[in-house]
Amino acid sequence: MKQAQTSQAATSPEKTQRPCRIDINGRRTIAVAPGGSLLSVLADHDIRLPSACGGRAACGLCKLKVLSDAGPILPPEAKRLSQTEQAGRVRLACQVLVNADLSIRIPDELLTVAEYRCVCAGIEDLTADMKRFHLKLEDPPAIDFIPGQYVQLCCPAYPGHAEELWRAYSVASDPARNDAIDLIIRRTANGISTTYCFDYLKTGDGVRINGPYGDFHLSDAQTPMLFIAGGSGIAPFVSILHHMRNISIARKVAFLFGANRVRDLCLIDEMRQFERTISNFTFIPVVAEPEPDSGWTGETGLVTQAVDRMFTDLNGYEAYLCGSPGMIDAAIAVLSRKNLPDDRIFYDKFA
Amino acid sequence: MDKAFDNSGLEQALRSGAVVQGGFLGSDPRPLTRIIEEDLRTLEGLGYTPQRVAQRMAELTAAAAPRLESWYNINDNIRVRCEEVRGVIVCPWPHAGRFDKRITIAHRLDLDRSIRWTDLNIHLIGEHSFFEGRGSHFRLDPDELIGIIFTP
Repeated sequence: MKQAQTSQAATSPEKTQRPCRIDINGRRTIAVAPGGSLLSVLADHDIRLPSACGGRAACGLCKLKVLSDAGPILPPEAKRLSQTEQAGRVRLACQVLVNADLSIRIPDELLTVAEYRCVCAGIEDLTADMKRFHLKLEDPPAIDFIPGQYVQLCCPAYPGHAEELWRAYSVASDPARNDAIDLIIRRTANGISTTYCFDYLKTGDGVRINGPYGDFHLSDAQTPMLFIAGGSGIAPFVSILHHMRNISIARKVAFLFGANRVRDLCLIDEMRQFERTISNFTFIPVVAEPEPDSGWTGETGLVTQAVDRMFTDLNGYEAYLCGSPGMIDAAIAVLSRKNLPDDRIFYDKFA
Repeated sequence: MDKAFDNSGLEQALRSGAVVQGGFLGSDPRPLTRIIEEDLRTLEGLGYTPQRVAQRMAELTAAAAPRLESWYNINDNIRVRCEEVRGVIVCPWPHAGRFDKRITIAHRLDLDRSIRWTDLNIHLIGEHSFFEGRGSHFRLDPDELIGIIFTP
């Protein structure tokens, strides 16, 4: 059995009680009291890195580059960083204890991430295990995001779960309306966050989000597009379709949305409305195993099988995918066989 | 299990609900070493190793995964399906290990009994002989698991 070591923050050899200076991207310097984790002191200065584990080096999301000496990388941190990342001075911000001046590099887009206090303005059943949560922003009162991006929702402590944590969900609303966002969430068996959302979160409750994050968004190309999604993977496409309608993007788009049963389909009326208001947009629901009494006459089988049937050559297309890793992998395999190069396939894997 | 192994930090992490709801040990008051030892004794009595069990679970998951949440009949007695949700989960042991949040459900048609496991369960059993503590949401009793995934 491998030896276990207790997780602890890396420490810098240079300890001091004077304020520590953190140089950020060579463009901004903040002064902080020594002793906190780099993740927490950055958050205190409204610089929020994604983090889903409460600073335990478990999620590996809070990566950044630390150019100055930040102490050794201990095993809990090392197991989240590849050798290449370690050689490139990548660290987990939650595991770097600020006890000396530091020089760090953060992707520029993260510098615009903010935390928002919201009120849950409504909860809507979409299917037996999917709901849409309408969140009205209060402070700050507006958020700007690129359609396709995601936010992190704060899951507070609740009976049976003692610790606050954050989970990522794609924004599923019109980017032109920046005073509120919608999230589409599918229940996970015994999931910490979805148990909170489905069993405890009520209309009128206060919630916190931070973001936006992510680089899943439409390119500037004018090529035809294929959207493929399953389950709650429909969420970013709702936002993208609003955006296409808002600015009259007329690229040819086919959106294949897979569900296991007819009862698992959702947002059909909204998708038909998009068909009427977006030029060249076609919505194609695909049901793997329609209920015998459903009267389903649409596409059947796996969504990837429908792509295989319906398209012979996708050279010249772009494909945008959102769903489970299994669906994404299967879709990429089909798209590759249809002559779509890898660099034209964009995806938001549930990972 | 190595008695000299200091697993106090690991055990604390496993009891914490920070990674999975209710923690990996659930309401089980037994120390980690005893949970593992007792499950290993059960397995040995049934004639299986953790690695063989994990291999079979992985085979069933691999068969179900391409079906994208639809049922797949392995044979006349057992069918399987996978569910995947957003996110990854990490192995609580101190080594690299990130797993998709994928749940495999195996249903024995002849017994009308089902059991479910995550990709992390497969790893925990195969690499750490750990079936989780009693009362945890993804505890797998070895005898129940073997009774379902290995068909006569």
